[in-house]
Amino acid sequence: MADKMLVTFWGTRGSISTPGRTTEKYGGNTPCVTIENQATKIVLDAGTGIRNLGIELVREAETRKQPLGIHLFLSHTHWDHIQGLPFFQPAYLKDTRVTIYGSPKKEQFLASVLKRQMDYEYFPVSMSALTADIRIQEMSKENLRLGPITIDWEEQVFHPGGSVRYRFSAYGKKIVYATDVELDLFLRKQGRSEKEEVSAEEYMRFVADADLLIADGMYSEEEYPARIGWGHGSIPTVIEAAAKANVKQLALFHHDPQHSDKVLDELWVKYRTRYLARSRKMDLFWAREGLTVAV
Amino acid sequence: MAREDDILKDRDGFDTTEEIPMGKFAALMPVSQRAYLEITGSKEKDGIFELGETEVVLGRSTECDIQLGVQNVSRKHARVVFQNEEYLIEDLGSTNGVFVNGIKVAKCVLRGNDQIEIGGVKLVFNEEKSVHKK
Repeated sequence: MADKMLVTFWGTRGSISTPGRTTEKYGGNTPCVTIENQATKIVLDAGTGIRNLGIELVREAETRKQPLGIHLFLSHTHWDHIQGLPFFQPAYLKDTRVTIYGSPKKEQFLASVLKRQMDYEYFPVSMSALTADIRIQEMSKENLRLGPITIDWEEQVFHPGGSVRYRFSAYGKKIVYATDVELDLFLRKQGRSEKEEVSAEEYMRFVADADLLIADGMYSEEEYPARIGWGHGSIPTVIEAAAKANVKQLALFHHDPQHSDKVLDELWVKYRTRYLARSRKMDLFWAREGLTVAV
Repeated sequence: MAREDDILKDRDGFDTTEEIPMGKFAALMPVSQRAYLEITGSKEKDGIFELGETEVVLGRSTECDIQLGVQNVSRKHARVVFQNEEYLIEDLGSTNGVFVNGIKVAKCVLRGNDQIEIGGVKLVFNEEKSVHKK
């Protein structure tokens, strides 16, 4: 496994956490995913799933007696992607370093949003009480390299307030994390504007040949028409785009809070069967908490 | 000015020293979790295997807890561990991989009715919580 990137899902739910018996299979925690390769630890988003990750990391640090170095990449700062941060135990460890990356458009904004989330009106502990060495770093035009993993990124505009997609490359493999984007608005639209045309080309180029694409698949085709403009796309659109872009494996992510395990199982059967009937080049699955895949 | 413990005493029928009959509640609480692997396609090992809290290794080797004499199963193929009150399956670097519901996994927390496949052997995971009766 030394030359593999291990991808683990700690939170797969969109918008709001959904604890309970009907969501225990796919999970009720909001977005958090890790990519690990040997000592390199990358965290994608700080939804409520980051709480369990933090417990695991502290346990690991105690066993190994080594300080933690964590790289947290935020897709954006909507609640469901940051609300776990105040409960992330490593942030309270003096020897830990947490570097938080986000859109350069929002560097000051990012720091201020994270700080405001821990304002006394909302949370009893202020951000200054986090004893870890926390640094906020804007993404630059140059690719970032962490251990063997190279990271590049692009802005996504088709989400209220925007979001960022990231690509992680190592050992000839590519993982793309592209959640919270309404693909239908620029990939399906008839008579696209120049901006939409550029967005479509950029998206397809960015996800092309990905070994794993973690993508927003919030709505079925029946649900989507009533949710146009909400910033999330339909499942068939992302499947078609991924297949066209020669993606090897697609993880549907950011599940609708209204979708119980039963509904997600039904969607999985419906769309997987429909896709595999036409082609077997790409595998697709619905991301669930506690699942680790090797890329 | 009233002391805090005086205030507490003023509350109707509230006495912090009163013993709460926990036994009554404990008798209704789930006390154990039982989990099973139903194995098919392994020939001689087909059947239901109950999981405990100790690690279970599956593979072709005679050292394995569940020995699966099938050619496509690696010597030590996978293990099932009980961690954080959940069962998870982990690939031990097998040649043909571990699949949960058709997805190749390195590790996966198991949920009821998960369909596992290792080297052509099919396993179904199920669990139940037992409750003490009065």
